[in-house]
Amino acid sequence: MPCIEPLAPGEIRDPELRALIERCERLGVPDSLFPRILARVPDYAKALLRAMLISHTEGNVDHKLKEIIRIQLARRAADPYFAGLRSARAMADGLDEAAIAAGCDDYERSPRFSEAEKWALRYADQMYLDPASVDAAFYAGMKQHYSEAQIMELGAFIALHYGMQVFMRTLGNGAPPAEKN
Amino acid sequence: MATDPAAVGQEFYAGLRRYYSAAEIVELGSFIGFNLGFHTFFGTLKFYPMFAPDGRLVNQQESARIYGDAPASLVGAGRG
Repeated sequence: MPCIEPLAPGEIRDPELRALIERCERLGVPDSLFPRILARVPDYAKALLRAMLISHTEGNVDHKLKEIIRIQLARRAADPYFAGLRSARAMADGLDEAAIAAGCDDYERSPRFSEAEKWALRYADQMYLDPASVDAAFYAGMKQHYSEAQIMELGAFIALHYGMQVFMRTLGNGAPPAEKN
Repeated sequence: MATDPAAVGQEFYAGLRRYYSAAEIVELGSFIGFNLGFHTFFGTLKFYPMFAPDGRLVNQQESARIYGDAPASLVGAGRG
């Protein structure tokens, strides 16, 4: 059980929040557990869930690549909850566990990823491991493959999801839906 | 949460609950998580406040000189 108990679905009466939770459940990321914990602060929950959904599913960077990045970050944050979730849309679009494993492992040497994809994976990897290495030269390299708008999209996605993963990790939810390695 | 998330477990939350409601703890935790994620990202972008402490609008080079390349050290923070 998480350190903060989630609200029961029936306790969440705000229709906007309920609709956002349903969207999360359809996507599978997050499932309803994290939203029902956030729902203890409904205005925060609405803002954060909307931002999580938009940053993950909208924009001009491939959703499957973002899903690999999200799982890589969750493993980095040591959060079994978010690491165990999978985007139903990404999986329906062809993402598989082998690609996820490759993105979380030695992606630099993997033939599976393009140079652009490696830059995105590196961006997430280095952001919290070694932020000092994400400097002007790093951004210059990224700009060879991504527009500034896409870099902001990736950066904000990484920052928001990693922040929520660290928070969730501390809640020690301990109900990992069998992380697929 | 920022420096030792493994230390923020059941016992830590039990301590927090003596002073804060569940809603307040979620408010704090999500606020901290959000800031933890974004400040690291912002730090890589190297941007500085638009205004000097005296209220003047300054360019980024001058602002970097005023505010410094790195925030003040946190060494010693949190040690009772």
